[in-house]
Amino acid sequence: MDIGLIDYFANRGNSFFHRASPIHKMAFVVFLLSSIVITDDLMLLISIYLMLSTLVILAKLPFAKIISIASYPAVFALLFAVASWNGSWTRSGIIVFKALSAALTMVLLIVTTPYPSVFAAISPFLPRMLVEGLFLTYRSLFILLELMRNLISALRLRGGLSPRRYINNIANFSSGIGLLLVRGFNLSERFYGVMKIRGYDGKMKQELYIKGSGREGLITVAVGFLILLTSLAMRFGSGFDRYSVHILSISVLFVLAAFSFCSFYRNRGASWKS
Amino acid sequence: MSHMHIPDGLLPLWLVLAGWITTSVILYFSMRKVKKDSLQHKLPLIGIVSAIMIVGMTLEIIPMAYHVNLSVIAGIVLGPSLAFIAVFIVDLIIAMFGHGGITVVGLNSLIVGAEAVIGYYLFRAFLGVLSNRKLSAGLASSLSTLFALVISSAFMVGIVYVSQTNPGITLKSDKQTLAEKTLSQELSTENERNSVQAQKVDMQRFAKTVSLLGIFGWTLESVITGLVIGYVFRVRPDLILSKIT
Repeated sequence: MDIGLIDYFANRGNSFFHRASPIHKMAFVVFLLSSIVITDDLMLLISIYLMLSTLVILAKLPFAKIISIASYPAVFALLFAVASWNGSWTRSGIIVFKALSAALTMVLLIVTTPYPSVFAAISPFLPRMLVEGLFLTYRSLFILLELMRNLISALRLRGGLSPRRYINNIANFSSGIGLLLVRGFNLSERFYGVMKIRGYDGKMKQELYIKGSGREGLITVAVGFLILLTSLAMRFGSGFDRYSVHILSISVLFVLAAFSFCSFYRNRGASWKS
Repeated sequence: MSHMHIPDGLLPLWLVLAGWITTSVILYFSMRKVKKDSLQHKLPLIGIVSAIMIVGMTLEIIPMAYHVNLSVIAGIVLGPSLAFIAVFIVDLIIAMFGHGGITVVGLNSLIVGAEAVIGYYLFRAFLGVLSNRKLSAGLASSLSTLFALVISSAFMVGIVYVSQTNPGITLKSDKQTLAEKTLSQELSTENERNSVQAQKVDMQRFAKTVSLLGIFGWTLESVITGLVIGYVFRVRPDLILSKIT
């Protein structure tokens, strides 16, 4: 989990998906997750994964990096697949692709939407205290990550983390976390003091971060809704199963088209210049 | 290690909803208790401890996705109510990275929250039994982490057992069972294999896999927790003693 990198992608990007309103993107996520939950068709799950990959490419995000971030749950999905193995590869594939698709959906949201916007979008559904806790965690996270990075560098420079000295490494690493905890406490005291000076009386004034383009948002919602409709049709409609191969083919075409479009867009004029 | 990394869509809807409802109830009572206390003062602390837990999770100790949860540390330094709130915040944030399904955040919070709460009470008990506090703080936290992790992992296996989930197709299985009863027996052999048998998880194999992978994780986390608490006890004993005594 490279949180700093994820935050960088969310704040620096300027694709149509970045510009879409967080509320529309949340609706997109709800539609996609519902599709993933209700579907039991491996072809459709692979198609959903490919569609999401297409969006990653079109959002001009580093494809390999995003896919690797979203592949983390595959390890645990494999654990479940092994534990429930009954000789069917299809079922194992369903488990793995459910995990991968759901993770890619969430990662796509978080790499195109800054955290404060996501928290603001979910704030109507959560108690105020939890929302404030989320904001404060986010605020503290980057300070602590920086502290931990410096600490690990210092440990490495002084030989505290060396190859093949595992027991020593664990002891030093633990002291590092202990130090982080002590500094964290001091930081929380300082936070409280600063918040109090700024008039904190038990309620934080929340700025609304829900901004973004409606047009892009509506397109995003439409894509999500279309995928949900397809999923519902495949799940409850009779005779729709036979179209799953066609949907998969279309998804593959989408990925190829997105790759071609983006590489053309990136290299436009380069061959002419050469 | 006790994290429930079950992806979305594998557990039955009733269990997912039950997880959310139970978590909401516990959160409600935890927040009420905190409000009676001094909420203003505690909120930055919850944020900091949640952030430390996430930082701990980002550090992969060894490859193969082994990371520390630090939930028992959260329990020891925050107390059970605040630790549960911190655990929920952490689970919600990490679910956004695809680290465990977003729909199972409720169940995940119950498992990791149980770890924090059990860890806190066990730490108190062990500290009471071991008389020399300065020497035994590390050992007590280490032992309490080990027991808390074993219990929470058993809880996780129990949830999978209750769900009778097997992957992927809980909803389809329900639908097909109904269809079989009411309509016809037109299911293909492959479909039957994928769905009807899929209702049963091989619990023995699953529990064995979790235990085998878990033993190393539990040991590692308990050693690290012991060392961290030992360090904090030497540097700032008030941070822990104020909660415990």
